[in-house]
Amino acid sequence: MPLYGTLDITQSPARLPTLPNLDTEAWALPKAEMMQLLVEVPRSSTGGLLPKAMHPALPSYVILAVTKYSDSPVGPFNLAVLRLGSRAGAHPRGFLLGAVASTDAAALELRTRWGIPVEAGEVKYIRRHDRVMGTVKKDGKTILDCALVDPQPVAGSDVQYINWVTAANAPLDGTTQPMLIQVDPKYTFYKAERGKPQVNAFDPAAWNAPTIQLSDPIVGTCSTVDTDLPRIRFVMDPIKPVFQGTRRIREARADE
Amino acid sequence: MKFGLFYEISIPRPWTPEKERTVYNNCLEQVKLADQLGFEHVWAVEHHFLEEYSHCSAPELFLTACAVLTKNIKVGHGIVVCVPEFNHPIKIAEKTATLDILSGGRLHVGTGRSATWTELGGFRANPDTTKKSWDEFVRCLPKMWMQETFAYQGEFWSMPERTILPKPYQKPHPPMWVAVTSPGTEIDAADRGLGSLGLSFAGFDEQEKKIKEYRRRIQHCEPVGAFVNEQVATTNFLFCHEDEKTGVEMGKKLGNTFNYLATQLISTREVFSSPSYQSLGLLPALRRAATGPDASEQQTEGMAYGDPARIIRAIKKWESLGVDCVNFILNANEVVPQDQVMASLRLFAKEVMPHFTRKPETAAAAAE
Repeated sequence: MPLYGTLDITQSPARLPTLPNLDTEAWALPKAEMMQLLVEVPRSSTGGLLPKAMHPALPSYVILAVTKYSDSPVGPFNLAVLRLGSRAGAHPRGFLLGAVASTDAAALELRTRWGIPVEAGEVKYIRRHDRVMGTVKKDGKTILDCALVDPQPVAGSDVQYINWVTAANAPLDGTTQPMLIQVDPKYTFYKAERGKPQVNAFDPAAWNAPTIQLSDPIVGTCSTVDTDLPRIRFVMDPIKPVFQGTRRIREARADE
Repeated sequence: MKFGLFYEISIPRPWTPEKERTVYNNCLEQVKLADQLGFEHVWAVEHHFLEEYSHCSAPELFLTACAVLTKNIKVGHGIVVCVPEFNHPIKIAEKTATLDILSGGRLHVGTGRSATWTELGGFRANPDTTKKSWDEFVRCLPKMWMQETFAYQGEFWSMPERTILPKPYQKPHPPMWVAVTSPGTEIDAADRGLGSLGLSFAGFDEQEKKIKEYRRRIQHCEPVGAFVNEQVATTNFLFCHEDEKTGVEMGKKLGNTFNYLATQLISTREVFSSPSYQSLGLLPALRRAATGPDASEQQTEGMAYGDPARIIRAIKKWESLGVDCVNFILNANEVVPQDQVMASLRLFAKEVMPHFTRKPETAAAAAE
């Protein structure tokens, strides 16, 4: 049967974000500008990064995403994330390895509401005539400098963004415990483009992924979307296979 | 109604030389028995790099082995990938003609364009152009088979005038098909006069609509080949057992294993935004089936597992929708022991097959 990850998050819960509850309200995030670059990585470079409950995507790939949220409950902010392509059971997921938000308020809320492993830093999203650029600095050091080059229009229906999984401590059944949390934003597209990924600088250690090596670029997309960060519906045991260890804690999105 | 076997050649980890050889030999043993029992077709996929799901990357070799071991069963590419980075059209024409000769005129040629990033990216093929390259290839193949000499200047390949050899044993040429997974491909099949090789596990309602549209449109087609191959095939799982409960349990295990492995594949659409891959194909249905609680009763009812009576009911339903041939997947990751696969085939042939009549031969066979 498929391979599984090897990371046991229960062994180092102190390194994980801690949520006071699983009851965060949803955030509406209108007119967000998102750039996502997908790059293959050698399988050997992903060792120890994926929780035991999940399957690695084969070939292995990462998603570098830089998003400009011009409106949110904590005001405008930019967010850069590194996700690892994977499967939660039968479903494609991007497992959050690391993230940087451009404001302290955003970093705090994202961390404590959805378990995103985010710290505050400098995140820039810049549009030029022939490219969209994202740069991230932490403590004055550039840890990501990337771009989507030569964006060409595509239909929003051509673009698929897969859901996320975060690893965090959260209370469940009266005990705060490490778990995996599904984060499943929805997207309404106003505009979408596709282009070539270009990564000029990338410090994997700064993204909690010291072994990751970028290899073959796949594709980049940038889009203007209404999106959200929804209420948490599913949590997963971090050790058991997801198809055994998934628990629904809230019904469908229609009740929001 | 005709019956066939459909081979992904799924091999569980860990892969040892003996394990891969054993699975291949198991498949050949099944094909040999199927030929004796009256199965009509054996199909083999072309997949590359798909760990556990399919280790069938050289189908022409497997099908040649099938042909040499059998007498009557037709051997079919399900499919050959018509993307230049995967296969040069000259080589496709040559290898298929050779296989047709070696099989004594039993070859069917299914065509397609691959759907996973794993494969397309592995060959550094451009997902945006695979539909066009497929169309170019399927228009060239019949000419390469039939014409004494052939020259071509196209978008994806070209050649100066040469004689492509050998020529197929079947005249004018082997029947051609196209893999139908994404919505709309049945229309592509119909418009070109190709057989519809359904690789989907879609429900009855969806299949009925597709088949109706296919049958309607093919009446006005411009065939890419010398004749119209109006046939509809669908894929199913098979496990036939005297006891219904046992048969259903094993069949579900087979189906769930296959579905789960399939959901691990990286579809092109998951990572590469392309208008050429707008649909996830069969993956949404497989994900629903693989996640257990969402499996619908209708899906289970349409599957050919259980006791002979249950299987007859399922196939009668497919027959009523206009399906000409049901191709069976017999195993996935070897979860069904070989002796049980063989017993299932024998019981199916004995108790189920006699309930289905055969339709008239295709135009090509009639023309011979």
